[in-house]
Amino acid sequence: MLHMYLPIAGNSVNVFLILGLGGFVGLLSGIFGVGGGFLMTPLLMMFGIPPTVAAASDSNQIVGASTSGTLAHMRLGNVDVPMGIILLVGGVAGGTVGVQVIKLLRAMGNADFLIAITYVLMLGGVGGYMFWESLQGLKKSKNEEVEAVEEETTAPAKKSFLQSLPFQYKFDKSGCEISVLLPLVVGIFVGVLAAIMGVGGGFIMVPVMVYMLRMPMHVVVGTSLFQILFTCINVTVMQSYSNQTVDFVLAVLLLLGSTIGAQVGTAVSKKLKADQLKIMLASLVLLVCVKMMAGLLMTPAIMVALKGGH
Amino acid sequence: MTTLHTTRRIYFVLLAMLLAVPVFCGRSSAENSPLLMELASKTIQITTFYNGTTLEVTGSIPEDADVAIQVSGPKHDVHLKEKGKVAGFLWMNKTDVSLENTPAVYMLYTPAGATKTLTSPELGIGYKALLKDIEISPESEDKTFIFQEYVKLMEKSGVYALNENSITYGTPNKGVKGFAVTLTVPSKMSAGDYTVEAIAVENGKELDRTQENVTLELTGLPKTIASLAYGSPLLFGFMAVFIAIATGLLIGMIFRGGGGAH
Repeated sequence: MLHMYLPIAGNSVNVFLILGLGGFVGLLSGIFGVGGGFLMTPLLMMFGIPPTVAAASDSNQIVGASTSGTLAHMRLGNVDVPMGIILLVGGVAGGTVGVQVIKLLRAMGNADFLIAITYVLMLGGVGGYMFWESLQGLKKSKNEEVEAVEEETTAPAKKSFLQSLPFQYKFDKSGCEISVLLPLVVGIFVGVLAAIMGVGGGFIMVPVMVYMLRMPMHVVVGTSLFQILFTCINVTVMQSYSNQTVDFVLAVLLLLGSTIGAQVGTAVSKKLKADQLKIMLASLVLLVCVKMMAGLLMTPAIMVALKGGH
Repeated sequence: MTTLHTTRRIYFVLLAMLLAVPVFCGRSSAENSPLLMELASKTIQITTFYNGTTLEVTGSIPEDADVAIQVSGPKHDVHLKEKGKVAGFLWMNKTDVSLENTPAVYMLYTPAGATKTLTSPELGIGYKALLKDIEISPESEDKTFIFQEYVKLMEKSGVYALNENSITYGTPNKGVKGFAVTLTVPSKMSAGDYTVEAIAVENGKELDRTQENVTLELTGLPKTIASLAYGSPLLFGFMAVFIAIATGLLIGMIFRGGGGAH
């Protein structure tokens, strides 16, 4: 089998394995609008890539996959650019705050405990709710034999408060008129969480857009990819500059797989109904949650780990 | 006269003893055949498609001796997280621990049936012997335990290994026997200088030891990438992003082209 040497990771990998891994994660990215870092980083670590290099190279790869995915979704009219930009601004601000928060937590000790708990609760809560909600949606559409396109549920109690906020703006693609402050705050919230958890935040951003901003699922996927693209450009440059942890060979191998995967994923996404998309993503999130819980509860085989992992 | 004579005699005796020491030693090692070791190569080049390699080591030792070969790498400080229980039931990376002056690589090769003798505490060969040079911080941590767990971690990635029964002996001839071993150079062993050391042991005592250096170096594409990444990190970051975007756009256009061709 063909192997290539990764000069920054300091290890060799099987070329086809990494191409396949990239393809798989790119597929998920195209379907769900998630970066896939929460899956990719642990998998790369399993293949002997140091955690810091795995995370940084993955963000470089996501730049490629999300470019490819955003382009495909843009053609389908699934990218709400103004919404994406506001989320991004919030995300960057939140990320900066998050980095400081994590420093503070580390100084106080027990940061890792809080991170792990946040992670599991977020994954469990978000995944569980999304699963249940989309299951109801699927049942309903089946019973009524309705061609469910984009189901838009409303929360009347919240709406009156949200409508009273200043800076109302009509987001055409998302089909909603809300205050600019709302996506900004949501962006900050996800940015903080993403920085604390050390992930891109796609899998938090998607449910947040669906349930808090009430955007149609397909637009959520496209807009999320658009937003992730810029987040990961920033992360890649910062990681290369300050930590030299981006392995270019690894990133390119992953890229070749993931950019193609993202195109296929977008095509798959187009064929699926919103509730089907949601329930699949929910299952994925719950799976990661269970895996994390197992990791927390089972006695480890080796009592030490190299510093720098999640 | 007598005093002069006596002084002279003492002088001669001393001289004879002094001369005898090196002669005796030289003769002894010549008779027993000293430890000899030769590496098939002293540099290993890490190329684009490198996936680890092997290194042949041959040599000779006295017929009744045994030989151990140890490969060890650059010493560095290792920063670890010790796992512990939080809130009574959650296993997490809890405490920061550092092992200072720890070799990045340590591999021991022994012949069949001799591992136990060769790794006995007096000889200073094997994992346990590494411990004496290693320092732990904070000092309150259990060095032996942390190092033992660290060894497990390194064994998993292939840079620490005990390869028993890996050295083969030739048929003894005139009190000397040849040995041969194929050293594993895993891809995880990074560029740098390593030592290959042979230790000859007879009757549980060290007879002789000798060492050779072997260098792993990056060449070609890996070298170019590494020097760019460490030499001009900002440029490297932008380049990585640029190529990622270009690939994304290219693949995106290919897919549209494919769809719109009909």
